[in-house]
Amino acid sequence: MSAWPALPETLALPALMGRLAAAHGWEAKNRLLVQLARELPPMPDELKTDEHRVAGCEAQVWLLTQWQDERLQLWADSDSRIVKGLLALVCAAYAGRSAAEVASFDFGGLLQTLGLQRFLSSSRASGLAAMVQVIRSA
Amino acid sequence: MVVLFMDHSPLPDRAAFPLLAANPELVWLDNAATTQKPRVVLDAERRFYEESNANVHRGGHRLGYAATEAYEAARQTVARFINANAQEVVFTRGATEAINLVAYSWGGSELKAGDEILLSTLEHHANIVPWQLVAQRTGAVIRPIPLQEDGQIDMTAFADLLGPRTRLVAISQMSNALGVCPPLEQMIAAARAVGACVLVDGAQGIAHQGVDVAALGADFYVFSGHKVFGPTGIGVLWGRAELLAQMPPWQGGGEMIERVSFDGTTFAPAPRRFEAGTPAFAQTVALAAALDWLAGQDRLAIAQHETALYQQLADGITYLDGVRIVGTAPGKGPIASLVFGRAHPYDVAQFLDERDIAVRVGNHCAGPLMQSLGLSQGTLRVSLALYNTTADIDALLAALEDTLELLQ
Repeated sequence: MSAWPALPETLALPALMGRLAAAHGWEAKNRLLVQLARELPPMPDELKTDEHRVAGCEAQVWLLTQWQDERLQLWADSDSRIVKGLLALVCAAYAGRSAAEVASFDFGGLLQTLGLQRFLSSSRASGLAAMVQVIRSA
Repeated sequence: MVVLFMDHSPLPDRAAFPLLAANPELVWLDNAATTQKPRVVLDAERRFYEESNANVHRGGHRLGYAATEAYEAARQTVARFINANAQEVVFTRGATEAINLVAYSWGGSELKAGDEILLSTLEHHANIVPWQLVAQRTGAVIRPIPLQEDGQIDMTAFADLLGPRTRLVAISQMSNALGVCPPLEQMIAAARAVGACVLVDGAQGIAHQGVDVAALGADFYVFSGHKVFGPTGIGVLWGRAELLAQMPPWQGGGEMIERVSFDGTTFAPAPRRFEAGTPAFAQTVALAAALDWLAGQDRLAIAQHETALYQQLADGITYLDGVRIVGTAPGKGPIASLVFGRAHPYDVAQFLDERDIAVRVGNHCAGPLMQSLGLSQGTLRVSLALYNTTADIDALLAALEDTLELLQ
């Protein structure tokens, strides 16, 4: 599959971290996550199959991974906008990384830094733990 | 519109519940998952540990006798609350364990290949999976009872499913996901007419409707303590004496035996036969305190209060675009399962949580129900209890309005 969309500039990790850090309080962060969901390129319905579905989330999550030139590519979508906003962060964090970088990346630490730790403690509901598991075994 | 807002003073208010008193902003609308505890329940458990702690049915000492007396007195309290004989009350870890006990012991010894178990499509996984496990072991067959569009049991289909092969009908008193209450009286009569046993899952119904097992006419009734203002880790199986007497033990251990030798072991009569090992005696005493406390309230006023709050919510959401209550059968309990045009229930709950409004989202451990309703995103469930107020519903409606605007 070569037609994978690139992440927009606004979702590059440094830009994204700046935006999330600037959103103070839960409500602002939730609103921003809903906005990020709009910016993440949608996945066509034909790719939203059970095969690509990440089990263990309250919302439906579809995640595709592939390696190109030894760099990870990601394509993710969800029917929940807050979860899709979190997926934007997942993509920003992991896209373009090498296998070694993927293995050592501390996603929990990133959430902590950005004041999103509640999604870590509720990671079963938001499915973040399951997503990271899928990525690490890509 | 609701015109009747009675004086709530006779109802227990938040001050009686330490967690609610300590969190005045919290709007607790997840009561179907667990209820908050009144101070009298917490005090009862603490007092037991401070004053009477000893293992039951074992001690050669006064403290042990006192603990045993308190434990057996709790059994009497439960029996009074559900109008049963105390010898028919078995303590379990919860409703789930109680159903597993019946499925394993009664089902394992009574069911044969080709026997049929009828389960309503409303059932919680706890009233599905234990039957699937025993069906696998015995070759019995599970037949789901379909629902009407309003979430109520399709009684015509039920009548068609009943037959000489039907051995058991397992049904909720109140659906945990929708609040729909099946017509138990009719269903039990129809099941008994073909010689089938009936198990009623009272996990949701007990706190709102109570139960009179003598009048109900079922064979088994189960509930959990923590959904009726009691502690976790304690639940109840009520079973007809003649059935319990024939059921084999399901777990072996201390105090469920009469005599043990390596040549063979004889078992104690029910209910002790089903209570292997040290029971949760402190929690049992606290459960009795919860039931005594609830029995002392004006339960009719509580039911009217909960119905008025439900109606306030149902009226309020008619002004919100795209919001719908799933399961509108008449005579429902105070549970509203909501879906929202474009917004995902999970997203709505995240915004409600910000405002200290606690609800549950998802399939509510009722996967087959959600599949039958075609609700792949599940629902957002608002479940009420006696301490909820009109202000709680106002706060929820205001938060829903703002959230849906944002998520449209």
